Amino acid sequence: MARFSGGKAPFLRITDSGEKGTKIIMRDFIIGLLPVVLFAWYKNGIMVYIEGNITFMEMLYPLIFIILGGLLSVLFEAVFFYITDKSARNVKGIMGKLKLSYGAIPGLLLALFLPLYTPIWVLMFGCFMATIVGKMLFGGFGHNIFNPAILGGVAIMFTLYGVIGKAGGFLNASEVLVDSYAGATPLAILSSSKAIDYNTIVAPYGNLWNFFIGTIPGSIGETSFLVIMISYLWLSIRKVINWSTPLIYVGTVFVLSWIIGMVNGEAGIWFPVYSILSGGLVFGAVFMATEPVTTPKNSLGKIYFALFIGALTVLFRFIGNFPEGVATSIIVMNIFTMPLDNVTAVIRSTGIKKKTIGKFAFLTILLLLIMVYAVIKSMNLYSLSAIFVGGLF
Amino acid sequence: MILRKAKGIHIDGFKKMSRELPLREYLDPQFVYIPLLQQNSPLKKVVEIGSDVKIGQVVAMREGFGAMPIHASISGTVTAFKKVWHASGKMIEAIEIENDKLSRLDDSILPEINIKILSQEQLIQKMRDGGLSGLGGAGFPTYIKYQTKCPIDTIIINAIECEPYMTCDYMLTVKYPEKLLKGLSYFIKAANARNGIIAFKSYNQDIKNVLEPLLDKYPNIELRELKDVYPAGWEKYVVEQVTNKTYVKLPSEAGVIVDNSATAICFADMVDNNIPLISRVITITGEGIKQPQNFYVPLGTKVSDLIALAGGYVEGLDPKISWYLAGGPMTGRAILIDELIVNDTLGAVIVKGIPKDNENPECLGCGKCSDVCPVFLTPTAIKSAFDRNDVSLIKNLNADKCMQCGLCSYICPSRIEITDFVARAKTLMAKGA
Repeated sequence: MARFSGGKAPFLRITDSGEKGTKIIMRDFIIGLLPVVLFAWYKNGIMVYIEGNITFMEMLYPLIFIILGGLLSVLFEAVFFYITDKSARNVKGIMGKLKLSYGAIPGLLLALFLPLYTPIWVLMFGCFMATIVGKMLFGGFGHNIFNPAILGGVAIMFTLYGVIGKAGGFLNASEVLVDSYAGATPLAILSSSKAIDYNTIVAPYGNLWNFFIGTIPGSIGETSFLVIMISYLWLSIRKVINWSTPLIYVGTVFVLSWIIGMVNGEAGIWFPVYSILSGGLVFGAVFMATEPVTTPKNSLGKIYFALFIGALTVLFRFIGNFPEGVATSIIVMNIFTMPLDNVTAVIRSTGIKKKTIGKFAFLTILLLLIMVYAVIKSMNLYSLSAIFVGGLF
Repeated sequence: MILRKAKGIHIDGFKKMSRELPLREYLDPQFVYIPLLQQNSPLKKVVEIGSDVKIGQVVAMREGFGAMPIHASISGTVTAFKKVWHASGKMIEAIEIENDKLSRLDDSILPEINIKILSQEQLIQKMRDGGLSGLGGAGFPTYIKYQTKCPIDTIIINAIECEPYMTCDYMLTVKYPEKLLKGLSYFIKAANARNGIIAFKSYNQDIKNVLEPLLDKYPNIELRELKDVYPAGWEKYVVEQVTNKTYVKLPSEAGVIVDNSATAICFADMVDNNIPLISRVITITGEGIKQPQNFYVPLGTKVSDLIALAGGYVEGLDPKISWYLAGGPMTGRAILIDELIVNDTLGAVIVKGIPKDNENPECLGCGKCSDVCPVFLTPTAIKSAFDRNDVSLIKNLNADKCMQCGLCSYICPSRIEITDFVARAKTLMAKGA
């Protein structure tokens, strides 16, 4: 007679072999970030160095900046654990906590979507907001409501945007020398010129191919569509992210932008293409909109989430204070993640029947309303003839 | 609305280890223990200490719903009423019978002369008298299924056995394909159905190979191959895949009765020779067993005897970091003391080590649990509703559809016991309603 161990069914787990699990997912996510980090370094460091505009030490700066973002948020988490948890007041305790908290990711993401010449103290502020306010105060990994990286980024955008501009902003040492860049990102030009015109919003940056490759001004890591696609493929194949969410999100922005272009008398396909290639949309779609903790858990919820942020992104590009729509739309939808998850979970498990058709119709109509509103708002901004119509709203 | 069929995912089978050795018979254990529990119904014993019993003699009665007799599986003397470990994870009182090794048969066991002219009612009466219950794991009395008022069109034989490690039904089917077809034809007759379908998993091509040549004699029986996924052996999955119809409570709503292949084989013996349900096949397997294999044993045999026959535990097995599982690894139960007895629902005993790396990070919300759920539930939403005691939300989330297949816990990268949470939410819902 022997006494065996107890446990709960199932006694077979996909993590048994050690080749799958949260740890591996997080590792794969960081591997997925690598191409983006390397391209950011290449574009803002190596290339500028080759062109002879910065010194060797300055060449390393973009890489150091990004890694610093990751290190700072880990550090903040360690301090937080030290203060709040008595059992974690030794090296082993803190390391054990950090191991299960995956603190580096928000900091890395935050650094990647800040402008290159963000002062370090602003980065520190952002990391503090991201890790402590955005994550730890909600209960740590798995309990946060807002995407920590975006919360940090939005906090910086709302408070310290001018500081970044004064410190040098988006343009790296080579880009400053290009007259046509005029110190702004493509979306900023769209926002200020208030016209859908190829000559003013694309031509200064060469052509759309440059947008695709990523050699245009913008935040450190967000500019290259191509590189982010490589990350997207890796993350999808490794099942770290849900492959459909970025597609639906980007697709929504594409279709909606096309409609807006047509409504405003610009039917060319270049405008929707421009819309998805600019403003960190794909970066947000691949790395932020798929962030598991703060987005709905069931597949129907994920689809609706992507559709909603797509519509809101377009809307915010036209009515927001900031040219960017990605960060704000994701953070707004983060608030509604929980109810959206519950409603879609009910719809999904019941099927579309009498009991759920009302909920289903409500979500869909709300979505359509936002889309129509975005189209109308764009007319308000861009075409004089529509001022009257837009004014009604 | 379009039927959303239940779905499944492929999981590793671990079936190879227990298929290498042939099915072994072990018919004369020193003692057997007939547990006085069937499903959740306690049984009334009809023998006394010292009574002389023969194989097939009635020793206990199930009363109330599903009333039927339970039979002695060996001949000998009733020596005690003892508490023994049962597959339900509890200690259950059982009738201890000491074997006289004479294999004396009860008078009722004799070849049936009038097989051809047996009526529908007589066949159902035989199921009842033989104490036939589902051998797949639920142990539902078979005759109740056949007393349905719904018109039955098809009998499906579930030879799928989607649980990893288990091979008991496979071994039995491959050994007695003729009996399986015979049992199915009796089932068809008992339900007055039109045809029969044997559903098997693409992994088990052998079942097709042994059955196909025999099908000529049975024009109304066909084979159906299902994908190698878990939970392909779940009754609803089988019915939906095979007939494209679904049901809410019982398969008979869709004009179907589903029976396990082992049950059909047992029924063939029951009709032909009036042998009641007194034996079954059990898989003794797992990384902790020296020679994993299948045994054909009388009900009530001690599992420890079988493990000894299978070479015992592997050397260096530390019980403290191992599991001793009754049933398959996905839906089975960890038994703390290795003194289990074989009952009608016990298809396997698995001894395996606990994986070392069991880190438990927080739920990261990847949603894989809802992606794999065969019935499209969102376990995380149910868990959070359960944490908040929100019974009406649990109800809206259809927690009662969960049949605890275990896939959500299986897939969870953070090793969260999410199946258990949903099960508790289900209980809460049942209480609240």
